[in-house]
Amino acid sequence: MSELTYKPQYYPGSSIVAKNRRKYLDPNYQLRKLRSISDEDIVRLLGHRAPGEAYKTVHPPLEEMGEPDCPIRKLVEPTPGAKAGDRIRYIQFTDSVYFAPLAPIIRCWVYHTRWRGVDPGSLSGRCPLEARERDVELISRELLETELFDPARVGVRGATVHGHSLRLDENGLMFDMQRRYKYDPSKGEVVYVKDQSGKPLDKPVYVGKPLPEEELKKMTTQFRVDYISLRDDAEVMEFVQRLHWLRTLAGADPNLAKNV
Amino acid sequence: MTTQERKFMEALRRKFKESPEEKYTKFYVYGGWKQSKRKIEFFEWSQKIAKERGIPMYNPDLHLGGGPGQRVLMPYQISGTDIFVEPDDLHFVNNAAMQQMWHDIRRTVIVGLDAAHTILTRRLGKEVTPETINHYLEVLNHALPGAAVVQEHMVETHPAIVSDSYVKVFTGDDELADEIDDRFLIDINKEFPANQAAQLKPAIGKRIYQVLRMPTIIAMTCDGGTMSRWAAMQISMAMINAYRLMAGEAAVGEFAFAAKHAEVLEMGTLMPWRRVRSPNEPGGIPLGYLADMCQASRIKPEDPAWCALETISMAAVLYDQFWFGSYMSGGVGFTQYATATYTDNILDDFCYYGMDYVRKKFGGYAKAKPSWDIVRDVATEITMYGLEGYERWPAAMETHFGGSQRAACVAAGAGVTVSIATGVAQAGLNGWYLSQLLHRESAGRLGFYGYDCQDQCGSTNSFSWRSDEGLPFELRGANYPNYAMNVGHQSAYAGIVEAAHVARGDAWCVNPLIKVAFADKNLKFDFTRPRLCFAKGALREFMPAGLLDPIIPPR
Repeated sequence: MSELTYKPQYYPGSSIVAKNRRKYLDPNYQLRKLRSISDEDIVRLLGHRAPGEAYKTVHPPLEEMGEPDCPIRKLVEPTPGAKAGDRIRYIQFTDSVYFAPLAPIIRCWVYHTRWRGVDPGSLSGRCPLEARERDVELISRELLETELFDPARVGVRGATVHGHSLRLDENGLMFDMQRRYKYDPSKGEVVYVKDQSGKPLDKPVYVGKPLPEEELKKMTTQFRVDYISLRDDAEVMEFVQRLHWLRTLAGADPNLAKNV
Repeated sequence: MTTQERKFMEALRRKFKESPEEKYTKFYVYGGWKQSKRKIEFFEWSQKIAKERGIPMYNPDLHLGGGPGQRVLMPYQISGTDIFVEPDDLHFVNNAAMQQMWHDIRRTVIVGLDAAHTILTRRLGKEVTPETINHYLEVLNHALPGAAVVQEHMVETHPAIVSDSYVKVFTGDDELADEIDDRFLIDINKEFPANQAAQLKPAIGKRIYQVLRMPTIIAMTCDGGTMSRWAAMQISMAMINAYRLMAGEAAVGEFAFAAKHAEVLEMGTLMPWRRVRSPNEPGGIPLGYLADMCQASRIKPEDPAWCALETISMAAVLYDQFWFGSYMSGGVGFTQYATATYTDNILDDFCYYGMDYVRKKFGGYAKAKPSWDIVRDVATEITMYGLEGYERWPAAMETHFGGSQRAACVAAGAGVTVSIATGVAQAGLNGWYLSQLLHRESAGRLGFYGYDCQDQCGSTNSFSWRSDEGLPFELRGANYPNYAMNVGHQSAYAGIVEAAHVARGDAWCVNPLIKVAFADKNLKFDFTRPRLCFAKGALREFMPAGLLDPIIPPR
């Protein structure tokens, strides 16, 4: 594959929020690892298969399939899950408006710039990622162990996802109607007692200590008036306004948008 | 603006026991769904019904995760009133006023009388005078609800069930209006402020129009396409009777043609095959028509924000709750979402802040020439003000707990304000789209998949007028391609249209005939104060039409 002829800038802006967006979107930036979760616990949390159970497949391994002669297939290296014929599975996150590291649209972009073979979606209160099962597990590890996750302000939820905009509970945890997780005061950690779709776990999964809010503020990608407002980052503001106006002009008449 | 001045503070204090500024609360301690009187009522009814019919019914404990109410099930204040209701009371199934608003729109057609009068005078040599018109109207008021005027052995409808069916007329000709029996006249001079009447009468001219209201029961049991047919049949019969015509002579066919085609104005147009519905269905009602149906501008023409907010409430119920929420998708979810624009005074707060901003900055309404600088300045200011409202007051954020709710309200505030500043709805629309992009970029989130899809491409069509690419904003609606699954947008769009025209001092937005047709005290729904009317429906104080009591066993 040929190299890009330009250096991707990823995102405008000089505020810490804009810098965080730029940082997380850049696949060359190594995400900080903040906690460790075992392979088994990740599999439990996802709830798609039992630990140790073989992956279910929807087609034979590509090597055995005798694929047609296709330039695109030669160009694109299949992901491990695609090579093996894994079924499509998911992980879905809810990010609190109270300084979660990511927000759904940024999360989506991060998925696109960092991983291949993923199908993300963006809603206000959740962000699903669908991919081949073993690929989901690999990506999940990075999503759960690094600075992209906070045990209190980010939730792993398959259905009944709501909570992103609600006030926080007395321990600073985001609301989850299914109570998949709780705060364990003895360890100071958040522990999942149900998998992402709400099925009770036979063994709880600890996902670490909630980060202090001051720390979260340094990591967040959300502009907020009680921290850094979009008004405070002139470059981002002007970027959005210009983008809108160019679209407006070009939509009405492409000639109007020339040299603007 | 200080905390005390924010219009939503009273609602927030009633919703939650904590201060609206408080970021922390408790969950899972409120008794689940039993904290709601309405859900308890539903459950008790359901138990009784299940016993009678032998099939289980409503059981909130079947909900995933232990049932609704793991957090506070909050009440809602109907904006612009001091009335608090439960959210269930705002589903149209549970709200008779909402149903009646839709029925009152759907059961209306406007039919000009001039073609019929021309046929009578020039072809048949009959005399048409105010007296004959009054007589014809009396006959039609007998016939329209479902009564016979020609055949001597004919089934008829029970007057108590169709009591809301009648015909009235209006004209821009004061002399002719003076001659019409007051019982049949929508008097423009009485119903509208003088400056609005002075605009309406020349626009309507010397022509005379009938406003026909078919029975609500017909609107409930048939479809919108029935209305012009029902009207045309009864008009033709009344003509035969009133002018002593031969039943079946060629002229009668012409009356029917005039009433069904040449002189008829339906409230909504046909829709394309993939969303096909007859005329007079919600998806075919243009935004400007809906804005004209709302009569708030007759009451407070000096307050474009209030007029826009009243219009928005009607549009939320009609487009979001009826059309998108039921016709297009089914289920109940859209109501929870659509109520955001007309509850808790949150959108009111954004719009009134915007109107104040415009007045101070431009010295009045519709005084700023539309330009990019104006759109950018006004839409950005109101967007940031709206976002700050949610971010400073966590209770406001929790009240509008869906991102689409917040996006709709913030962008509506921006769009309505640009409209008020410029008096141009198209500029207001452009302000809406700028707001959506700013919101998305600020928060890193907006609405659900289908919500912001339109907003990512909306900037490009906001000034496009060519067919299939755009339209003058007043003529767009759910039938416009980009808005076909545009839930949560049409409500605000109707308000953006209304705000522009009220700011200019216009008596109507698109069609003076629609405006006058709904200036009618005999309508069951109060189109001058829709939000108050919806609140009455929620309190179960609204009496609708079309009730079947005379023909069913006493209960």
